[in-house]
Amino acid sequence: MLWLYLHFPHLLLDHVRRSQPIENALVIVEGTGQHVLQACPLAQDLGIQPGMRLKTALGLAPELHILQADQQQQAQLLEEQARWLYHYVAHLTPAPPDGLWAEVSSLQRLYGGLAAIWQTVEQALAEHQLTAWAALGHTPLAARLLARDGKGECSADKGHITHALAQLPLTAAEFDKTDCTRLNRLGLETLGDVFALPQKELARRLSPELLATIQKIQGTRPDPRAPWQPPHRFRQRADFIQEVEHTQGLLFALQRILAELEDDLCWRQQDTDTLLLVLQHRHQAPTRLRLRTTGPEHRAETFMKLIRLKLDQQPLSAPVVSLVLVVRRFISREAPGGQDLLGETQDLNEAWHTLISRLQARLGEQALTQLSPRPDHRPEFAWSAGEVKRAKNPGEVNPQALPRRPLWLLPGPCPLTETPVAWFSGPERISGGWWDGQRVHRDYYIAQLPGGQLAWVFRDTQNAWFVHGWFG
Amino acid sequence: MSELLTTLLQDARVWQGHRHRTTTQPAETTGFQALDNQLGGLGWPRGALSECLLDASGIGELQLVMPLMKRMTETGKTVFWLNPPHTPYAPALAREGVGLDNLVVIHTEDTSDFLWTLENCLRSPVTGLVLAWPGKLATRDVRRLQLASEAGQNVCVLFRERRQAEQNSPAALRLELMPDAQQGLKVNVLKRRGSWSGQRCTLAMAHRADIRVQEAPRVVQGPWPGAAR
Repeated sequence: MLWLYLHFPHLLLDHVRRSQPIENALVIVEGTGQHVLQACPLAQDLGIQPGMRLKTALGLAPELHILQADQQQQAQLLEEQARWLYHYVAHLTPAPPDGLWAEVSSLQRLYGGLAAIWQTVEQALAEHQLTAWAALGHTPLAARLLARDGKGECSADKGHITHALAQLPLTAAEFDKTDCTRLNRLGLETLGDVFALPQKELARRLSPELLATIQKIQGTRPDPRAPWQPPHRFRQRADFIQEVEHTQGLLFALQRILAELEDDLCWRQQDTDTLLLVLQHRHQAPTRLRLRTTGPEHRAETFMKLIRLKLDQQPLSAPVVSLVLVVRRFISREAPGGQDLLGETQDLNEAWHTLISRLQARLGEQALTQLSPRPDHRPEFAWSAGEVKRAKNPGEVNPQALPRRPLWLLPGPCPLTETPVAWFSGPERISGGWWDGQRVHRDYYIAQLPGGQLAWVFRDTQNAWFVHGWFG
Repeated sequence: MSELLTTLLQDARVWQGHRHRTTTQPAETTGFQALDNQLGGLGWPRGALSECLLDASGIGELQLVMPLMKRMTETGKTVFWLNPPHTPYAPALAREGVGLDNLVVIHTEDTSDFLWTLENCLRSPVTGLVLAWPGKLATRDVRRLQLASEAGQNVCVLFRERRQAEQNSPAALRLELMPDAQQGLKVNVLKRRGSWSGQRCTLAMAHRADIRVQEAPRVVQGPWPGAAR
């Protein structure tokens, strides 16, 4: 077995920096806000070092941007990285808060050698604008120790790796603090010195746990790592160090997230039709935007257009601190069922969905309706307006079975103000609705008004006359 | 250069008053032979605006576009109704044979939304026919719509008030609609491409209420002069 370990020395920093171009220096501080955990290159140029007190750092750079580390957020960030790495590697185990194991011996034939795997991963890291230290090892712990110390090399030679391990100082070996001090007091400086000790004595004099760790590093004791499965949802977050007041600032970060969504969907061979965009504000409840496409979609460009329209319609209510894009609904992609060789049907289908989505995004979903007849004798209940759907197969309606009705129906009956000049047919008595309280009891006639219009008029039980429709 | 001129003449963008010429502009037949004859044998122009000017609904204006609407929904093209003044009545449309699955009704709140929607519909390849009731429109906006409709290959019919007949308009076809005797529809061509305007014809529209022309009124008992009002 050969393991690749990726150590992200400043994951949170990378994450913030790719969401927004920042001019000023940036540091990440620990939860209590006392010490600097990570510093961006700009801050390091100003002399700020990780581990420094925040007060000192502020003295060095008064314009410093400060971000507090958040355990939960870091775990989510790591999961995001695992998600894309899963495209390349099957057996993956996250090591919170800042590392990932990947089992690579089984991939050598697929990629054509270790060097190719190494290169692929490095390229992907560069694409995602991330800094990571990688290392190979024959045991998970060996790979981890080497990576964290930045000594990783693309070599599977056992002797070479053992040599590199032996050179590691004890402080880098992640032993218990008391064990580490005791080993130091014994006069041991490097990991190699510890490896040289007889194992029995180690367990007796120090602790069985220490021996177990050493054996796991050397590979003489099993150290199984459960493979990670990507959750069935997409969740990406962008944090803004400078609050975003205009839509334009959001689009920059969204572009990257949507591109990743497209990659993810393509890789899964799935589509989606619902995106949830949550904009978080500092002093206000988050804004939740639900974006719906009428049909399955996977292209970042289309999503971008919809989001742009939605944001144009709904200006930001407050500056945005961070945004989260969540996709929970996945639809398996349909095989192109084009009816002709040129695939023309497919194109039209797509164009239809694009058009309707665009209109709905700007006008609101209720602005577009499709009509259908309903089996009811009362004219105002004999039709219904529904959600717009792409026609699959035309419903079988026998047109001759339907009675003669006007093409225009008024929203409600209007009192008849003019005396008709001619009467054509009637009366047609419509009486019903006793079952739901919307009682209708009318005699309908077709009449021509002085203006030349053909009207559908009725007389109700009080002998009052109304116009209910026009024969347009 | 001469090639350019030929194209202009053939598309009837420039026409000569002294001679009639059959043009090759794309069009859809109206389904009424009499009207087609008046329109140079063509019908509704495609990729251009048409205007129908009328005083009040109920004179057979929908029947005028019904054959086209039926044809479009049958071929799977979408028909958009934009801001109709009343409710298009689904049972009646189904009876006429219009495929309701391909019919979308859109309501917009203001003029800018209206124009934006209409432009988008006109540019899309899925659209077959757009019926729109714009209300008040500036000539500038009509011009904008005309350009949008040229980008697509659809028929777009705007229903406007008759008093706007005085206003000039960039639409390719303008018809004035008036009720005529025996429930007919009088069509007055105010403007068309490629020829003089001023043609008139009357279309029989009595079938829209199942009225047979020669028949005496079928009212069982004239209710009006009685105790009606």
